[in-house]
Amino acid sequence: MSCELVERDLSAYLDRELDIDAATAIRSHLTDCVACRRLVAQREALGRLVRSAPYHSAPERLRARISASTTRSRFARRFLPLAAAATVLVSAGIGAAVMRLAPAASVAMVDQVVDGHVRSLMADHLFDVQSTDQHTVKPWFLGKVDFAPPVVDLSAIGFPLVGGRLDYLGGQPVAALVYQRQKHTINVFVSPEKSSGPTDVVRAARGFRVHHWVRDGMSFWAVSDLNDAELTQFVRALQTS
Amino acid sequence: MASRLFEETVLPHLDAAFNYARWLTRNDSEAEDVVQDACLRAMRFFSSLREDNARAWLLTIVRNSWYSRISRRKEIAESTAGDHDRGESADDALDPEERLLQQYTIARVRAALEQLPVDFREVIVLRELEGLPYKEIAAIVSVPIGTVMSRLSRARERLMTLLTPSDSMGRLP
Repeated sequence: MSCELVERDLSAYLDRELDIDAATAIRSHLTDCVACRRLVAQREALGRLVRSAPYHSAPERLRARISASTTRSRFARRFLPLAAAATVLVSAGIGAAVMRLAPAASVAMVDQVVDGHVRSLMADHLFDVQSTDQHTVKPWFLGKVDFAPPVVDLSAIGFPLVGGRLDYLGGQPVAALVYQRQKHTINVFVSPEKSSGPTDVVRAARGFRVHHWVRDGMSFWAVSDLNDAELTQFVRALQTS
Repeated sequence: MASRLFEETVLPHLDAAFNYARWLTRNDSEAEDVVQDACLRAMRFFSSLREDNARAWLLTIVRNSWYSRISRRKEIAESTAGDHDRGESADDALDPEERLLQQYTIARVRAALEQLPVDFREVIVLRELEGLPYKEIAAIVSVPIGTVMSRLSRARERLMTLLTPSDSMGRLP
C-alpha cells in the first residue's frame, strides 16, 4: 500500500469506517512508515481539538416550548373528537353526499392525474430531488408529506427511478415519483388512502394511460405515454415489489 | 399518533437537534426557530417514523426545515455572520492562565468550524460532535456514503490548514 492511498482513506480509517481488509492494510503500512504514523497522530490531535468545540444543548425555554406544544396537541386530541362528533350530527341532516369523496378513478380525477403529468413535463419541474437512489429519494419526503411513500428501484427491469417531487392532486399534497423508460417518463403519484380501492383500473385520456390502485393504505396513480404492455409491466413490478 | 410516545422517542434527541441546527445556522435564535419548526413537523409526521432511528429521523427533519427556511429567504449564499459574543465555557478546575488558553483554543476551533462551507461543517458536526456512523450521516444529509467519506476527508484537510498556523498557541502536536 502506498502513502497516497493511506492519505486518501485516513479519515475513514480513523473513524473506523473502513472494511477490515482495508484497515488491516493501513495498519501494516503504518508499522513501516514514519511519515504516515506522524500523519495519523496529527489527525488524531485534530479530532481531539475539533471535539473540544462547543456542544450547543437545547436551551430550557425551547424545551419548555416544545413540551407545551405536545401537551397542547394531546389536549386537542382529547376534545376535538367531541367537536367532530357534533359536526357529524349536524351534517347528517344535510345528507350523505358530503360523507366522503370517493377516490374512484373518476373522469375528473384521471384528468387531474394527466394534468399533473403534463405539467411536470412542460414546466421543467420534473423533480425536486433528482436521484436514482431510492435511499435518497425516500428520506427527501420526510417532513414534507405526512406519510412515507414506498420508493422502489426498478432499474433492474429497465424502469430506472430518476427522482421525486412534491405535487398536488385533488387539493392534497402527494409524493410524485418519477421513473424512466427510454425516452418515456412515468409519474407515480402516491398518497395515503384509508378506504379500500381497486387492485388496478386502467384509463386512457388524451393519449396517456393511467393506472390506479390502492394497496397497503396508499393510493397510487401511474401515468405515462408509454404503450399499454410496458406500463402494465411496470405497474405489476411496482405492485409486487 | 400518541404524543406521549412522541415525547419519549423524539424529545430525548432535542439536544442533538439543537446542536445540529445551531451549527447550521450559526445563530442561537434562528437555531431555536428551526428546531421548533422541525419538532412541529416531526409531531405532525410522527406516523411516518417507520425506522427505529428517531435521532436520524429528527435530524433529517431539522435539516429539511432549515433548508426550506433559507430557500424561502433566498439566503443560500450564507451571508450572515454568527453571533460570537457569547463567552465560551472553559473548565473551572484550571488555573486562570490555563483557562484563558483553553478559551482561546475553543474560540479558535469554533471560528474554524464556522468558516467551513456548510456541506463540510455539517458532516464534521454530525461525526465529531454527535459521533454518528457514516451510514446515518448519509441518510440525514441524503447523499451516498462515499460522499460523506470524501466530504469529511476534505473538511478535515481544510480544518488542518485553518488550525495549524505559525504561532505557538494553536499548533497541533
